[in-house]
Amino acid sequence: MRILRKLGFNLFTWILVLLVAFPLVWMILTSLKPQTELFRIPPTWLPETVTFEHYWRLLTETPFLIYFRNSVVLATTTTVFVVVLGAIGAYSLVRFAYRGRETLATLVLFTYLLPSVVLIIPLYLMMVELGLSNTLASLVLAHTTFALPYALWLLRSFMEGVPEDLESAALVDGASRMGAFRDVILPQLLPGIISTALFTFILSWNEYLYALVLVNSDAVRPLTTGVMTMLISAFNIEWSLLMAASVMMSLPLIVVFAFLQSYLTRGFGAGAVKG
Amino acid sequence: MAEVVLKDIRKEFGTFVALERLNVAINAGEFVALLGPSGCGKSTTLRMLAGLDFPTAGEISIDGRVVNDVAPGKRDIAMVFQSYALYPHMTVAQNIAYPLKKRGVARPERDAAVAKTATLLQLEPLLNRKPRQLSGGQQQRVALGRALVREPKVFLLDEPLSNLDAKLRSYMRAELIELHRRIGKTMVYVTHDQLEAMTMADRIAVMHDGRLQQFDEPEIIYNQPANRFVAGFIGTPSMNQLEGAIAGSSFVINGEQVPINRALYEQALKDGPVVLGIRPENVSLSGGSLPATVRLVENAGHEQIVTVEIPGGHRLLAREASGQRPSVGQTCQIGFDADFIHLFQPGENGSRFETTGQAHVIPMQAQRSASDES
Repeated sequence: MRILRKLGFNLFTWILVLLVAFPLVWMILTSLKPQTELFRIPPTWLPETVTFEHYWRLLTETPFLIYFRNSVVLATTTTVFVVVLGAIGAYSLVRFAYRGRETLATLVLFTYLLPSVVLIIPLYLMMVELGLSNTLASLVLAHTTFALPYALWLLRSFMEGVPEDLESAALVDGASRMGAFRDVILPQLLPGIISTALFTFILSWNEYLYALVLVNSDAVRPLTTGVMTMLISAFNIEWSLLMAASVMMSLPLIVVFAFLQSYLTRGFGAGAVKG
Repeated sequence: MAEVVLKDIRKEFGTFVALERLNVAINAGEFVALLGPSGCGKSTTLRMLAGLDFPTAGEISIDGRVVNDVAPGKRDIAMVFQSYALYPHMTVAQNIAYPLKKRGVARPERDAAVAKTATLLQLEPLLNRKPRQLSGGQQQRVALGRALVREPKVFLLDEPLSNLDAKLRSYMRAELIELHRRIGKTMVYVTHDQLEAMTMADRIAVMHDGRLQQFDEPEIIYNQPANRFVAGFIGTPSMNQLEGAIAGSSFVINGEQVPINRALYEQALKDGPVVLGIRPENVSLSGGSLPATVRLVENAGHEQIVTVEIPGGHRLLAREASGQRPSVGQTCQIGFDADFIHLFQPGENGSRFETTGQAHVIPMQAQRSASDES
């Protein structure tokens, strides 16, 4: 009976894993098949001939690398913006007492409840007023507006976990407020900062709607909209190129995640104060 | 060595008054305990001395310099926190070196100072560990080391022993007394444990509800408590307090008379309602005039604490040497040693009627010989 149950659970888990993983695996396999093999019926599971011609074409004949660079700049700048502003904001929300602090925190979260479609037109008009239309900067600002509220709340809860005594001790030991923040609070906040950074980076990397509306020239288009407009037209979808582009779009996320994941689970805060 | 003066300190949190008219003058090199129940304002006082909190009104000076507007790091103080507040991402050596680093002490001197402190506190084998790899007692010593390393003018200690188990606590208590004797620096020690205060401090400031109740040497606090609060707070078990009245040379409660030595008290004592205070060790279970019934006997080995009930339902504690054991339900005639009777003004926190003689002052047998030398 117990073995059966164990088997059942295992089966269930593996079915879930396959369901989630299948499109990804299919994406990789498709990107490696030559054009002739692509639409064969019945389909081949493993490519009969493995080819990298799509990747080559993508890198040499299309503006893929420009889009890629735009996406990297966009997601990185947004992440830096959000983490810096979020950490300072969370510090203020947790450590200082001022009128309307809680209301402010709630309002910030409330902005997160508004659908982006509602915000996009006003935001576009504002960008035009600021002279930022059709620039990466406009996208950085837009992405910051929707990533910051969540980051603020995430970092706030992490900040609440940092004992105030630690900061007091640093002040007594001769550190300035900024010094205490840098020497003592930031290292404690590292897991929170990494989670926030990861969240923001992924959000910004995958964002489509704002990129579609705010930016419309190849020089500043990020990957999401760039790949779509380049490879999908009304008459034809370049499946093999699209799959190759998708694989290359996913790679940075996988690398970033794999690198930072170990930091997330490590117990940084242990031993700070007697529990 | 530096004296610390708190002058007319008032502290408000919103509408709540945490401290009022606090005046404390601490001599250079003195070990002073701030003692009181939680919420009495003792930790707030310490945080204001450290510069982590600011008085609403009043003046704080350290070594003759008013420090109200001086940042914590520039006051030349060191503080040990109840939670130890060790920096978890730094090793023991880095923790201890941090105050020196922040003051721009060069690397070689820093290392030498850390080594010296580590030797003093027997921390050498632990220098490369992280705080989470240490036991509570070791963490405590590292926290002390971080305070000691800089040789500040004043040490502030916020319930540093409260997280340790009983055995380690009494060990660290002795260590701290020893340490104070050796370095002779001014120390301000916050605690809610009267035993810690009595055994360690040169003088104790007893606080309650944001007000200073009494500031004096442990013997005087114990033998001449300023008011009912101090009388009840100091000593375990605490002093018995009975509401009654003075008539001539007797204290009358429920029609029963207890003789008092009226000559001891000054003119201020008039016939009328008072509160009588008597410590359990000055209550005898026989040979007195007050009828009582034994309700509970707690045997602690070398002594026993007996709870008796007198007419009117009041309960009293008596401390008896172990020997014959009174049995529960037994009736007896209890008596009070007239020389040790304290009389207080009636009311919630009535002050004590001053006595003229010193007849009832007994020397306390606490472990104070060490700290007396300094």
